[in-house]
Amino acid sequence: MNPSTRRALEFVLDNLAWFMLLAVLVVFSATVPNYFQPGIFANIVEASSVLGVMSIGLALVIIAGHMDLSVESVAALSAMAVGIVFCSAGIGIGVQLTPDWLGVPVSLLIAIAVGGAVGAINGLLIVKLKMSAFIVTLASYIWVRGLVLALSGGRSAQDLAPVIRWFGVQRLLGLPLTAWIAIASFVVFSTIMSKTRFGRHLIIIGGNENAAFRAGIKVDRILILTFVLAGAVAALAGWLLAIRTSGATANLGIGLLFNAFAAVVIGGVSLKGGVGALPGVYAGVLLLSAINTAINLMGLPATSTQLIHGLLVLAAVLLDTLKHQLRQKLA
Amino acid sequence: MKRILLSIFGVLAVALALLAPAYAQTKGKVYYMVPTLLDEFQTGSVSALEMFLKQVGYEMQTLNADNKTDVQQSQMNDVIALKPAAIILAAVDFNALKPSIEAAMAAGIPVVEFDRQITSTPSAFTSVAGTVEIGYVAAAEVEKLLTSKYGSVKGKILQVLGDPGDPYTLDIQKGFEEKMAAFPDVRIISLPAMMWEASNAGTIVADQLLANPDIDLIFNHAAHLSVAAAASLEAAGKQPGDIFMLSSNGAPVGLDLIKKGWMQVEVEQPLYAQAAAVAMFMDKIVNKQEIKAGEYDVLGLKSTVTIEAWGPNIKIPGAAITMENIDNPAFWGNLQPPTDTVTSVP
Repeated sequence: MNPSTRRALEFVLDNLAWFMLLAVLVVFSATVPNYFQPGIFANIVEASSVLGVMSIGLALVIIAGHMDLSVESVAALSAMAVGIVFCSAGIGIGVQLTPDWLGVPVSLLIAIAVGGAVGAINGLLIVKLKMSAFIVTLASYIWVRGLVLALSGGRSAQDLAPVIRWFGVQRLLGLPLTAWIAIASFVVFSTIMSKTRFGRHLIIIGGNENAAFRAGIKVDRILILTFVLAGAVAALAGWLLAIRTSGATANLGIGLLFNAFAAVVIGGVSLKGGVGALPGVYAGVLLLSAINTAINLMGLPATSTQLIHGLLVLAAVLLDTLKHQLRQKLA
Repeated sequence: MKRILLSIFGVLAVALALLAPAYAQTKGKVYYMVPTLLDEFQTGSVSALEMFLKQVGYEMQTLNADNKTDVQQSQMNDVIALKPAAIILAAVDFNALKPSIEAAMAAGIPVVEFDRQITSTPSAFTSVAGTVEIGYVAAAEVEKLLTSKYGSVKGKILQVLGDPGDPYTLDIQKGFEEKMAAFPDVRIISLPAMMWEASNAGTIVADQLLANPDIDLIFNHAAHLSVAAAASLEAAGKQPGDIFMLSSNGAPVGLDLIKKGWMQVEVEQPLYAQAAAVAMFMDKIVNKQEIKAGEYDVLGLKSTVTIEAWGPNIKIPGAAITMENIDNPAFWGNLQPPTDTVTSVP
């Protein structure tokens, strides 16, 4: 293989998720009626906002060689906290701040504080007590959802304050502001991962925690911070979810965790840790959203959509596996 | 080690603090097997059943199956071992719970089917609104709405189902489509909101508004799905009433959407009456006395008991809630529990 072909192949492999997304968009545009239109593409980006932001936090923890199963429940708890405080119907108490715009930073702070607190509990238990991340975050997945139920009594908060809901209605270049927030989150965290010491250390820790410790990296501190960040970012996803649905229900966001895992894996993050970049994860999220939208438009029987969704995701993951095999041959 | 022990004691202390046993002299303990608590109707059914059963002298204990069939089966096995006065079952799965019902009945524990009718095996009593019938009521309302728009029943309907694995939503779909089949000029697009999750419904509506901009009406199978659907309509620049919307179950959020104009009709399940009927007949159920067929007044609603192959069955009519009757306190969505006390049927 000559060097230029090799470089081209490596470029494709490095950005496989984006190429898969492109291929899927082309195929669906050609075969699914009404798919090829700017509004549908905007919907794909919009629908991926919540999942995208949630996947950032999950990807950070996985790159660090750990696991966070609590992100879905954390998002739901944050959404419910915001809903209870800032919704005016259902169980919402409709707090009004003066001036109105204060509702935006305050609601965001409430959400992030809630998520950060759960993340801190996870991080401390995992790092300081050396407990398994899988078990600790599984427990959090359960108790945090339980807390959502206990707080809401199974009821919903509805009619989010217009000043917060504005982010879901107002559009910039055809996309709602919630989608821009998700895109900005990816840009910020991708920069952190590639350009800062924290990002580099996180990848080293994920590759080999002991080696990182011996190299003088403050492993414990970085890991706890990563879990706090994952919680806070999941909370941001919850804030976006509350905006998108104009409130919160007790089952809000249920099932998002599995899609977040799928997006992270499709995006090229190794579940073993130490490998992965966030732009690929965003491509994975968009890919899942593109598939979901196609299913919505295909007019398939309701009972078979989940099966098709699962098979398409499996195909995407298989392609990713093929990528790793090709890369090994190239090495 | 010290930190681990402290953490364990801390977690245990919190868990124990949440356990608040209630002791009271009653006619007996009744277990309510609720399918999920992530749904306002189900949550409302817990408080309604508890309130009415207390009025007729029974203590109620609720077990939540989190929409998992196997969990509910295990709960049934556990409860049978406790020999309660009766079990009220809102089955996660209509067929899978059949052996558990048979086991309870064989052990002499009467099983009451609540909200979800199981016809494949006998039970002591069934109190339902009828999920297929909800579909019928919805179809009749759709007929009126489309006629008001076009002068005849025609147009395009987006039907947002709940989770396709839930027989509840499939029954509503069956009833709705059965009645709508009489109108060949109506096209129905049916899509599932997986796991009954609201944002999934929002995504479906957003996508379909682009693929089928001529949608006349959206029928969501639960009120909480309508909240996300309305949010998507708003985000797409629609005004309340631009596209008709209706949903089923009568939850408070649905009534709120009617008041705001986003929704025209909510087909309510008569939650209070369904629960009151169970309490009215509980003495007869527990004492294994005969329940006679006929008409009964349940919280002012004329309800009919029939003796079916699966046992006595009370069917309580669901109602269409519109702007005209929305403030009727009988609708559970108004969250004004009936002040009348329920008494046992003599």
